[in-house]
Amino acid sequence: MKLGRIWNSLATPKNIPKLFSIILGLVLLTGFIVPLTYNDHQLYPRPTPQLQISEKDPLAPYNRGGIPLEEPGIVKAQYPQFALSEGMVTGYLSPIAIGVSNTTLYFGTSIYSSPGGLIDEILYYSRGFDTILESSILMMAFVIASWVALHFTMRRKEE
Amino acid sequence: MDLSTLGGQFLGTIPLGDIVLYLTTFNLFMFGAALVFTAIIAMSRTESQVEAEFGTLNEREKKVSKDEFKIRRFLSIVCGLATAGAMITGDLFNFTLFVCLIGIVNIGIVAAVKEVDVLDSAFQYGIIAMIATLPLFGGAASILATTGTISLLELVNIPTSAFMLFSSILLFIGVAGESGVAPFFATKAEMFRTAGSPFLVIIHLSSLLVIVRIIEILLIINKPFGI
Repeated sequence: MKLGRIWNSLATPKNIPKLFSIILGLVLLTGFIVPLTYNDHQLYPRPTPQLQISEKDPLAPYNRGGIPLEEPGIVKAQYPQFALSEGMVTGYLSPIAIGVSNTTLYFGTSIYSSPGGLIDEILYYSRGFDTILESSILMMAFVIASWVALHFTMRRKEE
Repeated sequence: MDLSTLGGQFLGTIPLGDIVLYLTTFNLFMFGAALVFTAIIAMSRTESQVEAEFGTLNEREKKVSKDEFKIRRFLSIVCGLATAGAMITGDLFNFTLFVCLIGIVNIGIVAAVKEVDVLDSAFQYGIIAMIATLPLFGGAASILATTGTISLLELVNIPTSAFMLFSSILLFIGVAGESGVAPFFATKAEMFRTAGSPFLVIIHLSSLLVIVRIIEILLIINKPFGI
């Protein structure tokens, strides 16, 4: 195939996702030959999930320990000087959460463990700005989807 | 490589917990430029295009309706603010989130138009933007795994390993997909064939500034000319 033909096929929007995924696939395949180096002094440490699960901990795998407002749990920040009360509320459980965690071993894996359950300090305190951005990405997606639904799907007959 | 070698004078930081935004003269200039352009776009009105019809003497005017104008202006302002944020952020994961926000808002800016061709190419761009989140976040995550940090102020001092190089290639592919640069430009170029030029300009500007910024970040991570 001539080079000019290849360039021309790049100008067709339909071909671009294919091209992109081919390039991405090739790069991901080369990832297998790159030597993996893993830093185990991680910024956001946590015991291995299997450890807490085999200890029959109802909060597994999210138990970071600590007593609320008294003893900090295992949360490590990049800049501790900017997060002074790090780890202080990570062990907080609401009364409902305590009740549920006493009846089941799988409280930590359930979706309702976050609101009023385990407070993830990395999400809400030391990296709170990321959470704001994540939810604004979600909000923009909903704005776009609802606008399109309202104007292109529901009000189509008016035109 | 020092932060001030790349960005000029180091002017200070804005700490938000672990996410520390930092200001150098270079970053601050791009931040200011993005904000100024956003303000101009927020104030400007759209043009109307006139198309001659084939075979007759009639002509057709393409205008941006009021509803469409409102949503596109809103999304353009969000896009401008996200671009400005991506310029000064000092955290890799934060940067990827800003880029992701720019990507999704770019689709939204053209999603409101009625030309079928434009919507088709916006759909293709959306597919790329979706695929590109894998290398984008995967690159940031593997840099965190291999160095133990994603703060750019710390990454400056960490010597480069082979895996960091690989993860930054992933990161670049992610940004290239989200912003639609070189071989993937066709989808974005087709998206511009519609009325409403101020909003199309912010799509352009955001990808330009993000590309400049990712090059700076890749230089910070990889230090090609030594520490």
